[in-house]
This record gives sequence, C-alpha cells and structure tokens, in this order.
Amino acid sequence: MLNRRDLLKSFGMGVVGVSPALFPRWIPKLAFASSTTPARVQTNGGRDVLVNIFLRGGMDGLNTVVPFGEGALYYDKRPTLAIPEPSTKPLTAIDLDGYFGLHPALMPLKDIWDADALTIVHAAGSIDPTRSHFDAMEYMERGTPGSKTTPSGWINRHLQSTAWQNDSPFRALGMGAMLQSSLRGAVSTLALKSIAAFHLGGRDDQLEAIQAAIAGVYAIQAPQDLLQREAAQVYAAMGMLNGIDPDAYTPENGAEYPDTDFGNGLKQIAMLIKADLGLEVACVDLGGWDTHEGQGGAEGWHADLLTELGAGLGAFYADLQSWMADVTVVTMSEFGRRLEENASAGTDHGHGNVMFVMGGGARSQLYADWIGLAPDLLDDGDLAVTTDYRDILSEIMLARLGNDKITQVFPDYAPNIRGIFTPRA
Amino acid sequence: MTLSRRTFFKLTGAATISGLVASVPWVGAHPTKAAPNRDALHVLNRATWGATPQDIALIEQIGIGAWLDGQLDWQNIPDPLIDAHLYFYPFLLGTPTEVEAVVAADYGRGEHGFLWSRLYRAANSSRQLYERAVEFWTDHFNIPSPDLLTMKIVDDNTVIRPHALGRFVDLLRASATSPAMLMYLDNAGSYADHPNENYARELMELHTLGVDGGYIEKDVKEVSRILTGWTLNWDAGWPAPYIFNPDLHDWGQKTVLGHVFPEGRGEEEGMELLEFLAAHPSTARFISAKLIRFLVADQPPDALIDSTADVFIRSGGHIPSMLRHIFLSGEFYEHVGTKFRRPTDLLVAMLRALRPGMRLEDSDWLIWELEPLGHTPYRWFPPNGYPHHSMAWINTGALLARWNLAFTMARTDEGWYDGIRFDPDQMCPDATTAGEWVDQAADAILHAPLADSERQWLVDLIGEDMGESRPLDDELRLNRSSTLYGLLMSSPYFQWM
Repeated sequence: MLNRRDLLKSFGMGVVGVSPALFPRWIPKLAFASSTTPARVQTNGGRDVLVNIFLRGGMDGLNTVVPFGEGALYYDKRPTLAIPEPSTKPLTAIDLDGYFGLHPALMPLKDIWDADALTIVHAAGSIDPTRSHFDAMEYMERGTPGSKTTPSGWINRHLQSTAWQNDSPFRALGMGAMLQSSLRGAVSTLALKSIAAFHLGGRDDQLEAIQAAIAGVYAIQAPQDLLQREAAQVYAAMGMLNGIDPDAYTPENGAEYPDTDFGNGLKQIAMLIKADLGLEVACVDLGGWDTHEGQGGAEGWHADLLTELGAGLGAFYADLQSWMADVTVVTMSEFGRRLEENASAGTDHGHGNVMFVMGGGARSQLYADWIGLAPDLLDDGDLAVTTDYRDILSEIMLARLGNDKITQVFPDYAPNIRGIFTPRA
Repeated sequence: MTLSRRTFFKLTGAATISGLVASVPWVGAHPTKAAPNRDALHVLNRATWGATPQDIALIEQIGIGAWLDGQLDWQNIPDPLIDAHLYFYPFLLGTPTEVEAVVAADYGRGEHGFLWSRLYRAANSSRQLYERAVEFWTDHFNIPSPDLLTMKIVDDNTVIRPHALGRFVDLLRASATSPAMLMYLDNAGSYADHPNENYARELMELHTLGVDGGYIEKDVKEVSRILTGWTLNWDAGWPAPYIFNPDLHDWGQKTVLGHVFPEGRGEEEGMELLEFLAAHPSTARFISAKLIRFLVADQPPDALIDSTADVFIRSGGHIPSMLRHIFLSGEFYEHVGTKFRRPTDLLVAMLRALRPGMRLEDSDWLIWELEPLGHTPYRWFPPNGYPHHSMAWINTGALLARWNLAFTMARTDEGWYDGIRFDPDQMCPDATTAGEWVDQAADAILHAPLADSERQWLVDLIGEDMGESRPLDDELRLNRSSTLYGLLMSSPYFQWM
C-alpha cells in the first residue's frame, strides 16, 4: 500500500504535467498526422472546425475588395487612397470578375481564389447603425445587434445548442489573453495565450512537486465539485498539450506564417486541428484596422495589415491542405469605413464591409446584394449593409457545422439563407 | 488498442459544464468554518478585501457590530497610506480640467494612475468596507474607461466615491447627471424629436427597478422623453459638464408606471422621476438582491431580500443601514466560504495575505495580470458591469491563470517586476520546523487551520524525508517560500471566501 509520500513521489515522475496514475503510460505522445496518412479520421463526427477571425478596428472593405467597376463613384471619393484598376503594373487591384478586385497585398488570397476555395461577401455586416467600436463589437459578437446585455456570445450559444458528446477541454478556443466575447457563456471555453504558456508556473526545480500538490488538493482524480472538475480539465488539457512542441512544428507545403500574434495564433490552431484534440471552434483576432489618418492606398498602413492577413490565411490554407475540406474560416469586422476619404488621408467609421469565407463548402465566388455607390444609395455616406452577417453565419452553421438551431443562436432573427455554401455530404 | 477520447475524459472525470451548472459549486469544508473566530473571519472575508490578523484581533476585542459601525463611519477613519498614495496622483481628485490636462498630455499615464489606484486603495485603505462599496457601485453604474477616461475618472470621484456609503437616491442623481454616463449610454444626444432610449432603458433595467421590476416598453419611451435635454454643455469646452438644455427637452405630459408627469416641466420632472424610481419597491428589492449576491450568496435568500428591502424603504435608501442589516442577519452566517473570489478580489487578497513582506510601490505589470483573467478595472463594456455570480468566473483557462498568479505573486521575491517586491523572510518569522512553518503559513494566509490531508501534502513537500520536524533554516526558506505561499494561495480554499 503506497503511503502518501510515495504517491507524491510517483506523481513527480514521468513527463511534466502528466501523472502516470492519471494518464496511463500507453497513451502515445501525440503525433501529427501528415497529409500522407490515409483515411484520416474525421473530427467532430462529420462537422467542420470553425475558425473565426475578428478584424478589430473596422477594416476598410472598400479598399480590401475594390469595386473598381464603380468607376468615378469610387475613384472620385478617394483621390489619394483609391486602389488603381487592374493592370499589368504593380500595386494595382487583382482582378476577380471584371468589377471587383483584391487589394494587391492580398495575392495569397488570389491563390486560394484560383483553388476554388474562397467566398467573398461584400456589403455585409451588422444592421445596427452604431459607429462605436466597443458597441459594434459587442453587438456583433453577442449576435444581437442593438443589445449588448446579451450574456453569451453567438459561438457559445452555438456550442450550447450542439452539445454533442465532446468533452474535450479544447472544444472551443480563443487564442490570446482575453477571451473573445463571442465565446463567452455557459459552455466552458478556453482562452489560450499560447500552447507553450499553458502550464503551471512556479520554480522550475519544484514544478513537478507543485503539480502533484495542486492535483492532490483539488482531488482531480475524483472531483467532487465544480471547481475540482475544472481543475481536472486543466490537467487534462495540460497533459494533451504536453505532447505538442510548438518549436518543433514544421508547417506543411512550405507554409510560412507571419511571426506575429495573429500568425502564431493561426499556426497553433493548425497544430491543434492536426492533433485531433476535439477542437470545434477557434477564435483569433487581428487588430489595428482603425485607419483614421494616413491609411495609405496600395501601400501603407492598411496595405501592411492586409499583407499580414493574406500571409496568415495563405499559410493556414497551405499548411492544412488536406484538412481544409473539414475547416471553415470566416472573417468579420465590427464595421467598414466611409467611402469618402477624410481630410487626414484616412477614412472614418462606416458600415457595410467584406467577409471572407475559406475552406469547407466555400466555392470561389463574390457574393453581394450590390446596390452600388451612387450617393442616394449610400447609408449616410457609407456603404450600406445589404447582407446581414448573421445570414452568412447561419448558413455556415446549417451547411457545415451540423446545427439547425439557428433561433437559439440568433434569437429574434430569421436568417435569409442564400445557398452560398456547399453543404457537407 | 487506443481509448476513444470520450472514454479518456471519463477516466479523468472531466465533464461538460452544461451538465454541471445545476450542481452545488462548493462541497469542500472551507477552513473558515473550522476557525475559532469563524464569524469574525467570515465578516472580514466579505466586508474587506482580505482579512488581516490586525482586523481579526480588533473584532475579537470590540465585536462585529462595533467594527461595522467604525467601518461605516468611513470619513472618520484615518487613511495615511492612501493619503500618501494620492500625493503621487493628485489628478485623480482633480477638477475635470485638471484630469483632462493629464490625460491629454499622456493618456497612458492617466490610465495607469486610475487603474493602479483602484488596486492600491483596495489593498491598502483602512476604509475597507467603503472600498468594497465603491467596487459594488462601480459595477452597478458601470462605465468602461477606454473611450471616456477623463470623464470616468471624474465620475469615480464625484458620483461613486462620495455616495458609495450614502443614500441611493443621491448616488442615482449624481450618476444621471454624470457626463460619463450621459455619453456612455447616449443620453447626451437625446432630444425631443429623436429621443434616445438607451439610458432610459438601463436606468430602469440595470440601475433601479430591474428587468422584472414591472415596467413595460412604453415606460422606456416615456422615461426617454422625460430625460430629453439632459446633456452636456459643449460650449464650455472639453470635458463638457452636465447641463439641462430646455431647447432639446420634450415638454409634453408623460406617464411612467402609472405616475403622471404633467406637461410644461423641465429638469424638475427628471429629478422627480429619479426620486420616484429610487423609492420604488422594485428598486428596493432589486438593489437588495444585488447587494446580497455581492456580499452573501450567489442565490440571495428570499427572506433576506425581503427584510433588506424593508430596511431600504424605511431608511430612504440609506446604504449603510442596509449593509449593517445584511452583516448582522442570521442568513449571512449560513453562507461561509461560498463566494468565489473574482480575479481582482483574488489578486488583492494575495497582496493583503502577503502583507508582512509585501513592498508595493507602483506596478504596471500587476494591473495587466488581470487581463487574462478578464477583470481589468473599468474594461467591462456592456452596462451591466462585471458579474457578481461565482459561475461567471469559473472556467478552465481562468483556473490555470489563477494558479499561476499565485506563484508569480509569491515569486516577486526574485525581483523580476518593477514596483513590487515580496520579502518572504518577513512571513512566519517564528517557525523553526517544517511543520510549524506550514501551520503558521496557513494561519497567515487562510487565518484558519487546514484539514489534515491537505496539511500533510504541504508538510511532505516542505519536510520531504524528514517530515514535520525538518529544521527550517535560511536555505529551506529560500528554496521553498514561494512554493509554500504559492500553493496556499492557489489552493481551493483561497479561491473561495
């Protein structure tokens, strides 16, 4: 019969974060399945992994997916910022369909477009007119435009309404220190600063003893109450992450992620998808889009952000090549920016914006209920919202995430399903 | 054969939270229950930001009632540490113009001072119950600071702090005329032809009656009409002060909850509305329930809501009377160790627990330790304020972050961070063996004895093969201090108060 001291010692042995008594030795260190592995097991019982990218600050959609076909209605309003029409010259728009073009910094997205896996939605967004960053973000993430007292985020309600038997602590992840509002709610979601940081602190020379002591005092082998169960989850998560060495990870197909919080966040999401840990939803942010002055056109502030966005999405797509049929990436921003540039060579808060959807059931198309940029059709000088962002998210849930409980996710809202995405087989 | 992931998790006992929401959050025996001075400790856990041996001794000497009376008479409590602290941040007490001068010159400095002061005052003020009340009302009348830093600093100083232990109606009136509130909830832009309903709604839903308080949509519209013209005087420059603008006001008749407001009245009808709302029975119940959730239990006992609401009505919304009633009620003493410490509660409790060795000057790093925990001061953006219910704060990532905060705090003895340094040799100076050290550390941090099994974990860790009687020398202290104090502060007992 082991006495307590021996048990304590035994907890200290073995891989840091994994006690032999808790995690049987024969559970293999997690290896990454490569694209050459045949018949990869589908994650989540036949549902896409959702990756939600929030572009914070109000991305300028009109210079991201450029409506050059509007001619003077666009160019006259942006004498210094407008992106030139597609041509053989550098720093001009990348033609998509003869009317719209990508900002030149988004060349990686053109590759995905050519691979028939990129849907672009224009003039999309929240119907609430607020131009306050914080209000607009809260409305959008809570899925209730006009109300910011909704206690849960739309993604958490999606998880609540699809509570299939997924007990993984990695069911829903927010990359970054602060959990995104869309993830907040009754279902436990994990804010992950980084895989490397998800471990217990304390002096290195006593780490194992500390881990054993906390495991003991929280009774994680036989948790009795909510806090103890959460503690057990932490240990389960640490144990699972222990098998992942971010420094040793080599993205496939030569993918190179930008070495930024955004790029590293995407890279870690890719790692976690490949590690088959039960990830259903991951959120990651890219901020800095509030280009009130000195926005730049084909080059500059906005262009640099697009370079990072494009490089990140491009790397993610290349790295997850064979997984992409089971992954849907969707981007959103709290609002777009005004058509007319301001006196500081920038743009102020606007309305209608661009959403990118990549992977899964996304075929290359530019979808928009496009009414054009004629002054009388603008929303107080802004591109009007003609596609409610909830329509896009609802259709993704129906077609790709196996969730038909839309009214639970977006209360008091009847989505207009446009048949943009290909449903899973 | 490999286990499916599902079975793997059943082995570890992990389970989805949705199935656990209904279960009792805490079944352990909180050490406070076993403490000889249980009632005193329980009061201090809830009425201060963390019990200290001095406060425990004081209550033993004069009794809970006298201690409460002393704390409620907050203006007469000398507060030398805070006076010294505020000497370095005079703008926090300044006029709006003085605040704006600092913020406009250096936003970061202004924000740092405001956030740091919140933590420093919580940790070091002698007016502990007052600082708890300030916390409660800051959440209740929530205004996030990033967009409105100058005005929120002024709001803290002119709305929350003067009235936190005063009369509710005075607090409400100050809030309704606070430029920060009028901007935040859009009433500053509300005028007769186009009333803005945002503040009107939250005034009733969040600040007074509560969502079930009996008002209907029509009442929201009528209240928004009453409050048209409550705006800012832009002619006075920035930061603009409150002004009632008669040109923007809707002068017609209104009816709210059956109460008629005759036509032809300006600011006075809004003042009357505030008094009406402040005296309403639904407000009495709503405010009582919130106070009880903050101070007693996540599920406020009905009988205590009833009796506290009664005190509210009879005393004209006198906050100290309500607090006295709650802290001396029978129900209060039935809920020991049942409130989960919010991240700021936890951080400040750690600072107070390590007080004998804690040298705290000014630490920007410490403020931002709250960000991964989701409790950075003044950064809750919806108007309902940071939640008070324990369940809002219990999740996987948060738990790991709390454990790491405990160890990081204890390891500030290593001098990594500017402005904060913990000298562990000042703690438990009389201990001579491992066993004594564990007991004295538990007493210093939890103020109560540990259960045998948990005590044994720590004794084994410190004493190793020699056990209880292992001599406590300088080397052992150097090696094990941060671990011992970190473990106590990351234990389940320290998470609950």
